[in-house]
Amino acid sequence: MSAYLLHLAILGGIYVILAISLNLIIGYAGQVSLGHAAFFGIGAYVSALTSLHLNFPFPLAALSAILFSGGCGFLLGLPTLRLKEDYLAIVTLGFGVIVDLVFLNLEITGGPDGLAGIAPPRILGVSFRAPGMYLLLVLLAVILTLILTYRLVNSYHGRALRAIRDHEVTAQVMGINTPAYKVAIFTLAAALAGMAGSLYAHYITFINPESFGLHTSILALCMVVLGGMGSIAGAVVGALALTVLPEMLRQFKAYQDLIYGGLLVALLIWRPEGLLGKGKLSLKFISRE
Amino acid sequence: MERASVPAPTRYYFLGFPNESLNEKRKTRQQNQNFTVLTLKSVQAGYGKLMVLKGVSLHVRAGEVVTLIGGNGAGKSTTLRAISGLLPPFRGVVEFNGADLTRLPPERIVTLGLALVPEGRRVFATLSVTANLELGAFHRRDQKQARKDLEEIQERFPLLKERASQPAGTLSGGEQQILAICRALMSRPRLLMLDEPSMGLAPLMVSRVYDILRELKEEGTTLLLIEQNARAALKLADRGYVLETGRIILDGSAAELRDDPEVQRAYLGKGYREVWE
Amino acid sequence: MFLQQLLNGLTAGAVYALIALGYTMIYGILGLINFAQGEIYMFGAFVAVLLLGAGVNFFLAFIGGMGAAALLGVALERVAFRPLRGSHPLVPLISAIGASIFLQSLALLLFGPNDRPFPIQFTFSTITIAGLPLSSLQGAILLAALGFMALLVVFVRYTRYGKAIVACALDRDTARLMGVNVDRMVALTFLIGSALSGAAGIMMAIYYNATYPRMGLLPGLKAFSAAILGGVGSIPGAILGGLLLGVAESLGAAYFSSGYKDAIAFAILILVLLFRPQGILKGRGD
Repeated sequence: MSAYLLHLAILGGIYVILAISLNLIIGYAGQVSLGHAAFFGIGAYVSALTSLHLNFPFPLAALSAILFSGGCGFLLGLPTLRLKEDYLAIVTLGFGVIVDLVFLNLEITGGPDGLAGIAPPRILGVSFRAPGMYLLLVLLAVILTLILTYRLVNSYHGRALRAIRDHEVTAQVMGINTPAYKVAIFTLAAALAGMAGSLYAHYITFINPESFGLHTSILALCMVVLGGMGSIAGAVVGALALTVLPEMLRQFKAYQDLIYGGLLVALLIWRPEGLLGKGKLSLKFISRE
Repeated sequence: MERASVPAPTRYYFLGFPNESLNEKRKTRQQNQNFTVLTLKSVQAGYGKLMVLKGVSLHVRAGEVVTLIGGNGAGKSTTLRAISGLLPPFRGVVEFNGADLTRLPPERIVTLGLALVPEGRRVFATLSVTANLELGAFHRRDQKQARKDLEEIQERFPLLKERASQPAGTLSGGEQQILAICRALMSRPRLLMLDEPSMGLAPLMVSRVYDILRELKEEGTTLLLIEQNARAALKLADRGYVLETGRIILDGSAAELRDDPEVQRAYLGKGYREVWE
Repeated sequence: MFLQQLLNGLTAGAVYALIALGYTMIYGILGLINFAQGEIYMFGAFVAVLLLGAGVNFFLAFIGGMGAAALLGVALERVAFRPLRGSHPLVPLISAIGASIFLQSLALLLFGPNDRPFPIQFTFSTITIAGLPLSSLQGAILLAALGFMALLVVFVRYTRYGKAIVACALDRDTARLMGVNVDRMVALTFLIGSALSGAAGIMMAIYYNATYPRMGLLPGLKAFSAAILGGVGSIPGAILGGLLLGVAESLGAAYFSSGYKDAIAFAILILVLLFRPQGILKGRGD
């Protein structure tokens, strides 16, 4: 495998985790997040800062990233329980913008210059500096994420989440504790995004606020919707497609984004339910009498 | 014979204005002619894969009041939705004054002179009473005449004038029903369809609404009335159909239906004791 | 100082409000967030700049910019939204994002990445009223924005088509029963909302003396927040939300920290939503 393909595979894997985590919020809890990159960024910064300043080894840095992002997700999830979709969308959007600005303005995060020299991971004396090794690490994380989400989705709790997505009031009447579920899913999704962020930081070894802004949130959202909301395989396909697509479009140079945007619209018109979606989600919004 | 000519539009007898004798003449002429305004031929309709109407045929003649009665889920509202274009039928023909409605959207159908007072009134809650009435005449080309009609209506129903600038959502249920009927009248319909006008109203308001319908009938307005309240509907109607699980199971004059033991038992609440025992 | 900041805030806020009106009307009638509204704003500014560069007089160029923005909005609805009606709300949202990427890069190709100054330099005087220096440029922008808002309110409240648009927003089926062609009303809504955004873009281009392909991004997001802050679907709410956001941002930047200027708007929004989840003026189709 050429170095370039390896690089794409590693990035693709990281985005797969990010997309799966967002898909948990959108596809299974029926909530909208327009600021998911914030958790990705928090994970990256926490992981980088702990390893730079506290000399945490990678597993510990990654763990703190997961816990810290998860904690932020929990804190954001608590108040958002009261909000409906559109409002939640704007709150998460605002959260994303604010977090991005915090990265940009804090001294400890290095401002616009970001953080450099983040150590590549080393676990039990094995270095994962080589791209091939790093890909193994990412694949391991992807597989863990997949197992976790598949088990969750097909469990009792997964059914409860789908009930909330399809009809919140009915779910409540059935005795499902919807607020607790929503916070839990938000927390879990944020923690997974934090893990993706940690993997990203230790791979690129240099991070700045640019990688975690609104466009990354939107990219993650596009991956989920394009792949098909509520489908884990869809999130995987969507993430890989949108990692590879810009690379393929690179040959068109200046027209790259033009084609990218046009393709996105065309794909959705062609398959509004997403590439692997089942189109089951559509009922919720049209009947808005 | 003058049969072939399309009947003159309703404007001669719009709400009894301005020419009573002309109305009378017209009404009798139309009844003599037996001019059929609306025809449904084996209409099938439903939602998605669910077929609610399994072949409904009925007709309404000019000047007639026809009622469609039936229980919950019989397909009464679906019939009206199919006629008005909100729910295009799967199969069958809906003909109105010789025009085929089956593929027309609702906004075109109303311009042909067919108005529907929807179930649950559906007034535009945040818009003023007057704005609601004006919207009833939205599609009309003669906006000047529409403004005159608005004044006439407001004169006839002082309530609508008193509350002219009040949001329609603040009216009581009965008042909203009157507003919804007047809003439909603002389009000068040749056929007025009403979906359960008595639903959810206090008994006093029910009789008030039916008084209005009776007046409309006397003026010669053609009505197609859907009701669960079969007693009130059969009192007003000339003819009726009984709909059950998507099929017409019975039809006849209102008097015949009133006397039918089956109708009495199922819809008028009479005599089911005997059946039980 | 305080009054000056207040005035700066009101000027920016009036422009946010104009864009927010487009968001709120489109949301009211279709229930969708038109993420490409900021690009329509940018497009209006660019067309006006191009027309001015071609020697067209100012008022015609202004109207031309608004018209181009309006047409773009209608085309956008036709291509990117209408085929998706009835699908999950996120789908048109992503489609709008796709359209926004497309339009931004189109602008980049057509106009280049650099800022373009506004071709006409207005010589504006500064009048001092009660010790408060009021630039007549700010005054003109405020007046024009308020004028557009008044026009819109009159249109919606008192004209036949305005009421029909509200009727569609309230109850689409019943509006159809009245003979209202919903597709046409949706197109009309996009036309009006986009024209207002175009006007806002031109005014901002004059105010900051710059047009560039990404100029619509932040004003678009803030106007979107303003619409939600005021109560999405409510026209007075959008106006109020826009003004409030503009003032809060301006005061916050002056007294708190200019680095967090853009964060202030969103922080206020989040706080308000937590305490009044339905927005300041709750509404839909008013």
